[in-house]
Parts: sequence; structure tokens; C-alpha cells
Amino acid sequence: MSGLVAQRITFSQALVKTSRWWPVALIAMFVAAAIFAPLIAPYDPNAQNLVGRLKPPGTVSRTFHYWLGSDELGRDVLSRIIYGARISLTVAFASVILSGAVGVCLGMMAGYRRGWVEMVIMRVVDVFLSIPAILLAIITVAVLGPSLLNVILVLVLTRWPRYARVAYGQTLAVANMPYVRLSAFMGASATRVLLRHVLPNIIGAITVVATLEFGLMVLFEAGLSFLGLGVQPPTASWGAILSVGRNYLANAWWIATLPGACLFLLVLAINLIGDFVRDYLDPRIH
Amino acid sequence: MWPFLLRRVGQALVTMFGVATLIFFIQRLTGDPTYLLVPETATREDIAALRHSLGFDRPLVVQYLEFLANLVRFDLGRSIVQNVPVVTIIASRLPYTLALAAGALVVACGLGIPIGILLAQFRDRPIAKVATGFVLAAQSMPTFWSGILLILVFAIALGWLPPSSSGDFSHLILPSVTLGLLSMATFARITRTSLLDELSKDYVRTARARGVRTSRLLWRHVARNAAIPVITVAALEISNLLAGAVIVETVFAWPGLGQVTVQSILARDFLIVQGVVLLGSFVTVALNLLADILYSVVDPRIRLEVAR
Amino acid sequence: MTDRFRYARLVALAFTLSASVALPAHASKDRFVIDLVNEPSSLDPQVQWNPDSYYVYRNIFDNLLTRDEKGEIAPQVAKSWKYLSDTQISFDLRDDIVFHDGRKMTADDVVFSIQRITDPKFGSPQLGQFDQIVKAEATSPTTVVLTTKSAYPALLAQLVKLSIVPKHVVDAVGKDAFNVNPVGSGPYQFDGWQRGVQVTLKRNDAYWGTKGPFPVAVFRAVPDSATRLANLQAGASDLGVTLDSDQAGQLKNAAKAKALTGLTERVAYLRLNTLKPPFDNVKVRQAAAHAIDKEGIVDGILGGYDKAVPEMATPAIFGWSDAIKAPAFDLDKAKALVAEMGPAGKAEIELATAPVFDQRVVQAVQQMLTDAGLNVKINMSDMASYLKRAQAGPDATSLLSYGRWSCACQDSDGVLFPLLHNSSAWSAYRNPKVDGLLEEARQTLDAKKRQDLYRQVHEIVAEEVPLIPLYQSAAIYGATKNLKWQPTANESMFLNRMSWTD
Repeated sequence: MSGLVAQRITFSQALVKTSRWWPVALIAMFVAAAIFAPLIAPYDPNAQNLVGRLKPPGTVSRTFHYWLGSDELGRDVLSRIIYGARISLTVAFASVILSGAVGVCLGMMAGYRRGWVEMVIMRVVDVFLSIPAILLAIITVAVLGPSLLNVILVLVLTRWPRYARVAYGQTLAVANMPYVRLSAFMGASATRVLLRHVLPNIIGAITVVATLEFGLMVLFEAGLSFLGLGVQPPTASWGAILSVGRNYLANAWWIATLPGACLFLLVLAINLIGDFVRDYLDPRIH
Repeated sequence: MWPFLLRRVGQALVTMFGVATLIFFIQRLTGDPTYLLVPETATREDIAALRHSLGFDRPLVVQYLEFLANLVRFDLGRSIVQNVPVVTIIASRLPYTLALAAGALVVACGLGIPIGILLAQFRDRPIAKVATGFVLAAQSMPTFWSGILLILVFAIALGWLPPSSSGDFSHLILPSVTLGLLSMATFARITRTSLLDELSKDYVRTARARGVRTSRLLWRHVARNAAIPVITVAALEISNLLAGAVIVETVFAWPGLGQVTVQSILARDFLIVQGVVLLGSFVTVALNLLADILYSVVDPRIRLEVAR
Repeated sequence: MTDRFRYARLVALAFTLSASVALPAHASKDRFVIDLVNEPSSLDPQVQWNPDSYYVYRNIFDNLLTRDEKGEIAPQVAKSWKYLSDTQISFDLRDDIVFHDGRKMTADDVVFSIQRITDPKFGSPQLGQFDQIVKAEATSPTTVVLTTKSAYPALLAQLVKLSIVPKHVVDAVGKDAFNVNPVGSGPYQFDGWQRGVQVTLKRNDAYWGTKGPFPVAVFRAVPDSATRLANLQAGASDLGVTLDSDQAGQLKNAAKAKALTGLTERVAYLRLNTLKPPFDNVKVRQAAAHAIDKEGIVDGILGGYDKAVPEMATPAIFGWSDAIKAPAFDLDKAKALVAEMGPAGKAEIELATAPVFDQRVVQAVQQMLTDAGLNVKINMSDMASYLKRAQAGPDATSLLSYGRWSCACQDSDGVLFPLLHNSSAWSAYRNPKVDGLLEEARQTLDAKKRQDLYRQVHEIVAEEVPLIPLYQSAAIYGATKNLKWQPTANESMFLNRMSWTD
């Protein structure tokens, strides 16, 4: 049996085969950078220096020492990346957690309550899932106006149906298990049954969806920034830095390179965690 | 069978109606196109007059009912900005979006499946690490960034390919690669998983025990069985590709539906957006419906499951 | 059903690919390729108002008047004109202009064009530019007399934009068909519109004036400016519009392309909402004006292509005055003025902008105002929302907004009146004296007197700061090295004013 497990190294593990804690450590590092940005960042991320625009890494200009170069307004790229982690991680975590919560609640309700509740919820899910998410997001930002909060709201609005559908399917299966039925029969309230019996059974599947969604959300935010619908300038997010930096790839490659690398590491770490969760859930391994 | 079918078609119609209603009202919340249509010197009266002649000063309910009435007659209306039928615009753009999606699918499968096989065969070797790194990097690059990078390398530095726009086949390559790279990970992952699943099955172990070489096994027997989940994923991935096309089309000035839809959202050209979204959801809903019907024909138990 | 659908898709795909093989997009002198931002919305000159359309249709149609290389109003369809009275003006038309379908242009076509665009039922977005005209009549086959509501000095400047459409064609085919197959009399004629892909024009070899240098001109939509730049660097296009100064810088050492720039009539400005605190206090407005280093923006960010201006005008606009002294950049003074305000000066100020504007400039402006002690937050929304908000009136509009103004008429009436007069939706300023000056200037035919009226308005603006004029915008194009062309202040793109050197 152990031979089989050894054989089943997961996808991302193929890249880095070390302790399964290091992706968690990496994310913890990003989170720490985000939280302690004011302590770590050498400069104010929005402080401009118009005589020191687009300077390569290592340049000294006025009071600035640009370790990773300066951007199109002479701002310190390193400081912007550190502060950008705040926005990008907030957007990704908040949108995944909120859309997951909304989707799972509604999905479980639909799967457990059945009848018209199920009909209404699942039709709404169908409606949302059949509209391309990016288009719905663009329209909604046009309605609400771009801002950090609205970007999160828009992502929640467009992504919850994915969780709802998975939660619904899983709940249907779990709710039919004898002990769950028994519990309901014994007079447990719906909320109790859902929280005590259903949720623990479906949370694994939801986590798998969430880890896939997480990377997507960071990219989604970047895409909205590219279309001018992301967080408000001059606020730095990795997506916003990338979407401006791409215009300078030929003459100031440093602006877009490091946030790109951070994005890669973040997506990699989340993928690794997702793989572990999948493994953990895979009955063939246990 | 019939009650199930009727019920399922009814659900599909309700979904379409929901999409139409949602997209109509959410767009009207964004204002109307009049401010964008006039010169800066236009007075309040000029703007009001134009709004009146476009019909946007009518009550929302009236506009909504008119939209539904036209929709029932399969009339998607005329573009406000371009003054040509929405159908004309969609028809001219659709082939490009399909070509791009097809090209991206070819890239995603063409790279993803071999990489998946490689990952399954050389699980612990350094080459697998390199390949995984490549796949994950491609998956985490925003297309607006990787697209311009590819243009800089292949169109400007090397001069091998045209940088943008449509034209002969060579114009399709860069956008397809940009879009396909994003989906490559999905295929690599599923190929690898399904191959490993197959490899751990009894018949493979037995064959191995008898001394059949792994590579021979892989190609003769395993690949065929492992292909089924890959094909299923390919079908699902198409809708992701179409969504990703929105930004890729903008970067490469590729005249597909995604580009025109984003522009129309920003230009408040409501009827085009409604047309494209309705077309997209019609395709999605129709395919789901078809799949359900097919399944139910194959396996009558599903009728009970789905029809609830 | 699905099979047929799939089959149809395959056919469509095959068709696209094969159709496109027949059309290699080579850039050469024979086939001049121009990258616009978006596809033209319509080629009927009277039913739209956007740059991507007029870059194209102004080559298909002749206008009643035009502007020469120096920017002066010059004859085109009209050979000459004279005022019959303060409200009547007579135009003597050329008799040698032939539409692309072979019919001669007459005074009837001119009258028809004016009546069409001024008919409220027709619903032209450009109505406001021509609605001072109350009557147009042909007094002979080559003479047209226009009557305006009152004396209207900007009339000639507006008529530069009046394209003449053929009455017989429009009557015969109607508005919708003319829109997709326009017939004009200009140096290029409409050849084809591959919707979403490109508009093709071919040279009108029978043109009465200067003929175009290229047999075929192709206009494409390339929305991403980085891609327009790449097309130029790769030699895939001959001319690209709307680049920024950093992109122009990248073209400096490009092998195939160069930047072409020209100062325009467009003025970048900040509009202050003078009816709401803190900007209801003139001292805060002055502080804002002192805080902004226009030269720093122009030289530091804009690469020196643009030009700082002290007044809400540019030298390309009638009403420009050399004598205006705007509040100079003086950070200490700005800080002192803000400090005088006490806590009231700390109120959050919203700076409205849209993605089409140069975000580098907007962020720099925010930083400069912040340096002076003001609390400024950028609010970027898409263009439609921005325009709606900007014209919502002083109660609902933002405290501060960034914009770039062009009336496309090179006349102060089209700049100052909408931005300042209390009847205008754009105005967030109330000053009866300014209103009076603007009204008088709108009806004064005497150029010298008008000039003086606008000078007085500029002086009040410099003193009272309802607007902070920033700089005269440069239009930056990228072009192949072989192209010779001087971009003009009105941002038009007449192909027959370009030339090619091998």
C-alpha cells in the first residue's frame, strides 16, 4: 500500500517534493508581507519622483534607492509589490471566502430543502453560470464603479454559483445517507443537520474548488485592472502593477517581472495545497 | 420520458428568460449611451433630444417588454452605436472567436497532453519538475501580459509572426498560444491523473508482473482508457476558453465576439451585449439540455435525479 | 441539430481562414495600413461623433470649409463666402465636384446636408454644432445662403465639420443603407467594410483637389496601445493613433517607425466644483492652482511634447491670449493657503477621471495636491459613467475632475461657454459677469472685440480658479519612417495631405 502512495505524488508536488508545509509557509510569508507592509517596505508605495522615472534596479535618485527599479512615476517598485500583496491577497481571500460561504449556504439549502427552494436557487445558479463571468463582472463594475470593495463584491456575485452547484450535488448525496436521515427524523433542526452532518462531509470538495478559484481570482482582479476596472489608482495591486508594467516590457522589464513572479509563487503554493486536500480526500489513498 | 423532457425544456426556457431579464436590467443600471455619442459642446437639451430619439426616456418596463416582444420573434434589434442589425455584428465576429477557441484548444491539448504523459511516465525525474514549473507558470500569467511578451519576442525581436489583427493563418498563432497556455495546465493535470489511475489498475499490474514494458503498456492499453476523462474535460474547457478570449482578443486586436462585447459594454451599446450574452447562454443551456437528454436515454435512473 | 450546428461552425471557420489567406496584410505604399483604437461606428458623417469614425469618413467626404496647414479656415466645397447681414452668409460653391457615383455636387446637396443634420427628428448627435442655423437655401446651383438665429461668430468654425452628402443617394437608399455604403466626393472612396476587421478605402482618381498618395488605405481597430506600438515596430502598420509619450520614446530607436507629434486644440484641465466646500472658498482653489507644477508634468511625464498653458485655451484656438498670468507653481504658498483653512482643508476631495485619460498625469496631479496638504482621492470610472457624472450639475458632480477638452471647432466659445456658463451641465461655477461676457462673445462678429471679451474671461478664471488649465495636449502618432505628414491641431487625418518618401 505504501508503494502505491509513493507512486501517487501529486501534480504540483512533482515540482517541489519537500514538506507539505512549505506552500503554507510561502503563503504565510506573503500574508506577513501584506500585514507588515509599512514595516518592510522601504518607501511609501505612492511616493512619486518624476525625475527618477523608469530607472533600472539599483539606481539612486534623490532620496530613493530603487532596489528593484522605479515605475512610470518614479515610485519604488519593491514597495509597491509589498503593498500590492495586501490588495491582491485581500481580493483573493475575501472573494473566495465570501463567494464560498454564499454558494455553500445556498447550495446546501437547495440540496436539503428541495421543493421550490431548490427550484428557485438552482435556476438562479443556472442563469449565472450561463453568462460568461468576465462579462458579468465588467457590467457590474460599470454599475458600481471600480473600487477594492466593489471588485470583491463583483467577484462574489459572479463566482458563488460554482460553489453552489458543487455544494448542491454533494448535499444531495450526503442527505440521503441513513444517519443524516435518522438525525433529521429524530427532530434535529435543518440548520443543525446541515452544520453537523452535511457541511463536514462536503467541505473537502468545496476546498478543492476554492483552491482552484483562488488563483483565478488573482488573475481576474488583474484582468479587471487591465480593462481599467480594478482598484483605484494609485493603489498598488499585483494585477494593477502588471497591467501597467506590460506597457514597459521593452524598456523597463523590471516593473512587471517581480509581481509576475509573486503571482506565480502564490498560484503554485495554492495549487500545492489544493493537491494535498485532493489527496486527503481521495478514498483510494486511505 | 415525456414528462421529464417537458420539464427539462421548461427549466431551460426559464433559465433563458432569467438571463434575458438579468442582462437587460443590470445594463440599464449603467446609464445609457447618449453622453458618449455627443460632442462635448452638446447642451442638456441636445442630450435630452438625442435620448428621446433613441427611446431611452421611455419607462424601463416599456423598454423591457419591447425587448421581450422582439426576442420572441428572434429579433435581437439594431446596434445603437453602429446602426446595423446585431445579428450582422455577431455573424461577422463569431467565426473569429470560434477559430481562436479552436486554435487555443489545439495548443492546450497539443502541449498539455504530452506534458501530462511525460509527468506520468517520469514522475520523479528532473524533467518532470521542469515541465510542472512550466505548466504552472503558464497558468499563473495574466494573458494581457503573456500576450504582449509573445508579441515582443516573436513579432518584433524575431520577426517570425505578425504581431496582431486577423489575416492569414499565421495571425492566429500568437493569440491561440496565449490563450491555450492558460488551459494547458488543466489538460496536463487531468492527463497525468487519469494515466496514473489507469496504471494503478489491476490489469496493468498483472501485465507488469508478467514483464510487459511500461512504455508499451502505456501506449497500447492505458492511453485509450485514460483518454475518456481528457475528452470530457476538453468539452468543459471550451467555455473557459471563450471567456478568456475577452482579453486575448483585445490584446491581439482579434475581431472576435469577446472584443466587441467588452467595447459594447463600455459604450453602453445594450443590444449587442444582450445579443452576445443570450447567444452564449443559449449555447450553454442547449448543450446541457442535450447532455441531460442523452444521459437519460442511456440511463433511465437519471431522469428521476435530474427532473427533481 | 448539433451535427448541423457543428458543421456550420466548421464551414464558417474554414471560410474565415481561407478568406483571410486571400488578404495578406502587408504594409506598403500601395496599401497604407492605419491602426485606429476602435472600429468606426458609422461612416455616415451625420449620425455619429467619434474620432475613429471621422478619421475615416473625412477622407470620403468633402466639407463645406476646411482648415489649411496653418489652421486657418480655408475654402473647400465653398470657394468663397460673404456676410449679407449679421445673420446671413452666402457661400459660393465649386462647380467641379463630382460624387463617387458620377453625379455632380450642386447647391441642393449642400442645402440637403444642412437640413438633414439640423432636423431634430433625424437625431444627429452633432445637432448642437449646427442648430444655430435656422435656414439654408440654394439661390443658384452654386450659391447657398445660410441664416442663423442671431449673429453667430463660430459658424465658419463649425462648418469645417459639415460633410456634404449626396441628396440623390440618401433619398434613394435611406439612412440605414447609406450608413453601410457611403457615397461621398472626397479624395478616397468607400471600398469595403469587413465588419470588425477593417474598412478599406480606394483612391478617387477623379478627385478635384490634391489626390491621395496611396491607391488603397486600410483602417483597422487595434484597441490596445501596446499592440499598436508593436505593429509599428514590426512594420505591420504604417500609421497608428493615440500613443503616449513613453511609447513615443520607445519609437526613438526603432528601426522601422518614428513618432509624429503635433500640438492640438485640446486642453487638459481640472474642473473645481466651486459651489461646494472646500472649493467654495477661493483660497482653497488658489491653493490647488499653486500646488500644480505644470512644467513638471509636461517635462517630467509627457516628454515635453505637450505645452503648459496659463489659460483655458491653446494657441490653436480663437480667443487665445498671450497676456494671461495664471497662479504660478509655489508649493509653500499652496501649503500656507491650505493651512489657513484649518480642519476644513482636510476634507476628502474626489478627483474624477476615466481610463482613457493618461493615468500618469492624474496620479501626479493627485500627488501634487496631496503635497500641498489637500486630501485627494482618485475616482476612476468608465467613460460613460464619468461623462454622466461630469454633467450632473454642481450638486451631484465630483469636487474635482480631470479632463481634456476639445470642441473640435478651435474657438473659445466651444470651450469656455460649456465649462463656465451657468446654463451648461458641465459648469460648476456661478458668476453673472462671466456669463455676460460669454453671451456677448457668442454674438459678437467683430473678432477684435470678441478676443478682448475672452481675455477678460481668462483673467477671471486665473483669479477665481473655477478651472485649472494644465497643458495643450499633443497628439502622438506612430508612423513608418517613409511617411511625411504633419499632424494638425484639429486631430484630423486627411490622407491627401500625407506623402511618402522612399
